[in-house]
This record gives sequence, C-alpha cells and structure tokens, in this order.
Amino acid sequence: METTTRPAVWPWISTLARLGLAAVWLIAGATKVDDLAESARAVHAYQLMSYDAAKVVGGVQPFLEIALGLLLLIGLSTRLTAAISAVLLVIFIAGIVWAWSQGLRIDCGCFSSGGELGAGRDTEYGLDILRDLGFLALSGILLWRPRSRFSIDGVLMGESS
Amino acid sequence: MSKGSRDRADKARRIVEQQKAAEKRRKVTLWTSVAVVAVLIIAGLIGYTTLSKQDSASTGALVTPSAAADEGTAFAVGTGPITVDIYEDFMCPICNRFEQQSGATLKSYLTSNKITLRYHPVSILDGASNGTKYSTRAAGASAAAAEDGKFTEFHDVLYANQPEENSDGLSNAKIIELAKSVGLTSDNFANAVNSGTYEAWATKVTETFASRGYTGTPTIVINGKQLVGPGDTLPTDALLTQTLDKAAG
Repeated sequence: METTTRPAVWPWISTLARLGLAAVWLIAGATKVDDLAESARAVHAYQLMSYDAAKVVGGVQPFLEIALGLLLLIGLSTRLTAAISAVLLVIFIAGIVWAWSQGLRIDCGCFSSGGELGAGRDTEYGLDILRDLGFLALSGILLWRPRSRFSIDGVLMGESS
Repeated sequence: MSKGSRDRADKARRIVEQQKAAEKRRKVTLWTSVAVVAVLIIAGLIGYTTLSKQDSASTGALVTPSAAADEGTAFAVGTGPITVDIYEDFMCPICNRFEQQSGATLKSYLTSNKITLRYHPVSILDGASNGTKYSTRAAGASAAAAEDGKFTEFHDVLYANQPEENSDGLSNAKIIELAKSVGLTSDNFANAVNSGTYEAWATKVTETFASRGYTGTPTIVINGKQLVGPGDTLPTDALLTQTLDKAAG
C-alpha cells in the first residue's frame, strides 16, 4: 500500500518488467512450438535425460512458455507467474552451466530450436547465462513489487489503473 | 457524541474496511493463483496431446522402404567388412562439404569392397526451409529412390543441387526433375514424392538418430565409433582415410 502522495513509480517499472518478461516467454515458446520434435532433440542435446523423457519435456515446454507469457501479458496473479518464471529460469541457467561444465557444444536452445552446433561455430554460454540472469532480474522485480498498471490483478483488486 | 467516541467509531470503521479489503485481496490472490495453475496444467496437457498425436500420426502412416537396412532406418551400399554409418540431412551445408570432401574417398573404399556404407537420411533441419520441410521431403524422396535401386545417384544429385539454408528448398517438381536426370523415371517415384509416402519414415529415421544420442549432422560412425575431428570439427579426409585403414587392420 502506497503511503506517499507522489505519483508511484514502481507500478510503472513493474509494468515494463511484466510486459518484457511476457515477450520473452511468448517469443521463446513461439520459436519452438512449430517443431516439437526439434524442440525435443534440443532438450536431449543437454544429455540430462533419456530421449523419451526429453520428448515429453520438449513437447510440453513451448506450450508452458506461451501460457506463462499470456498470463504475464494480462497480468493475472503476477507474483505467482513471476515466481514460476524465476524457477524455470534458474533451471535453464543450471542447464547451461551443466552443458558448459561438461564441454557440450550445444546452442542453448532458448530462442531457436538449438541442437548441436556445426563445426566452426562458437558456443555462447556466457552470454546465454547473462541474458537469462537479466530475465531473472525482471522476475525479481515482479516478485518484489507485483503491482503494475493495466493488469487483471489491478482490476480485480479494485485499484485504479 | 463526544469527540473521543467519534474518533473511536472512525477508527473501528477504518479497521473493518481494512479487514474487508484484506479479505478481498486474499480471495483475489487465491482464485487468480488457482486460475494460473489451471491454465498452466491445460497448456501442458495441450503440449502432451499434440506430441502424442504427432507420434501416432507418423507411426500410423509409416511406410518402411523394403530396401532399408539397420532396423529399417538406413540404405546400405556395398558389402565390405567395415560398417560406415553416415547420418545426413539434405539441407545441411556441412554434410554437403563432407560429401564434396570425402565422397570420392568413400566410393573408392566401396569399389575395393572394404566398407559397407549405410546412409541415414535424417531431417533435423525442417525449420530451415520456410515451412516447406525440405529435409523431410528430400529424405522421403531418397527412400523412394532406394526402392528403385538408385539411392546413391539420387543422393549425389541432391547434394550437387543443394538449396541454401533458410530458402524454400527444392520443390517436389524440381526433386522429380533432378531424379529424372539420374534415371529415376518411374511413376512410383514421382507419386511417392508428391504424396509424401516415406515422410513418416524420415521422421522415424530422425527419431532413431536422436535416440542413439546423436545431435548434429553429419554424424559419421565407423564400426560403431563416432568419428570427429579435433575440437568436435568435421573430420578431414586424411583422418577419415587413416581411421578406415586402421579399422581394416
């Protein structure tokens, strides 16, 4: 609850964070959803699970990402969706760290369908992790200050938006 | 009413209002959380059913070419003692480079009957042909070519005319035209290309490839051992020759 009378800045910052994170999930999901088999192979490339398990994860993940993106876009239960986003991002970062530590030469499979890199292409694990940490920071802002403008939460709470 | 009791009444009303507001927030939080969880579960189920539908659709229409070896997922050329498995995607530029670099070497080993060459036409680059799924179409067409006994000829002509990655790929008409130039003139072949007879099979080959733990193309496997150059690069022709000679003993 705002105690000051000056115009609140945080709801606007949270709004930007919410829409930014929504865009991240929507783009991440949309680039994978048209080829689920490819998405499964990208998961399998991390060598963390059997091919059958990777198939399920690779098939379900794009849909979860799109759903999460839509929920953030409309601002429904922002704190919970931000928390789920943060958990997923931590898992992804752990996956990249794992691939890096094992010396696997894979594209992280985040914004394309990934898979193993061809000869002569460099992996970009450091950049991938930095980018994911940036997204994690967006989730952090929303966890800390979930109130934002133009959200269903705001409408349901009866706040002026 | 005294000033004191009015203040107390105000205070009581404020507390009640605050409690009501808090109660409302709790309710909203609860129900929106339930909605979020429900949406995510539904999304997961949609993903799972889409996946299983794709699986059953591809196995339902599966036509395995009778010429195929290795659990029906490869075309064998030659009968030599050393088995050389090559997993290739017709859209993959590095596969083409490998073909230009080492195609002649492999053919000479075939001629001297030292190797059995098994081609696995996989389709991992369907995303690189603007939605026309060139990798799958080309792999399916190669199965039709194998049925007519001309896999190698067709394979070579497709690589010689490889489309750019992220273009539309070759059209079915162009594939049939190229096939004619290497003597594949049967109606069977053209029909199989146009109706995608072996496309489900191409998906199965790709699944087998992935389930064996391979992720990139070309993957070259000699007597069950994957051959890569230093730093996971494409093996040079010299390295290939050396490895084959060593395997021959």
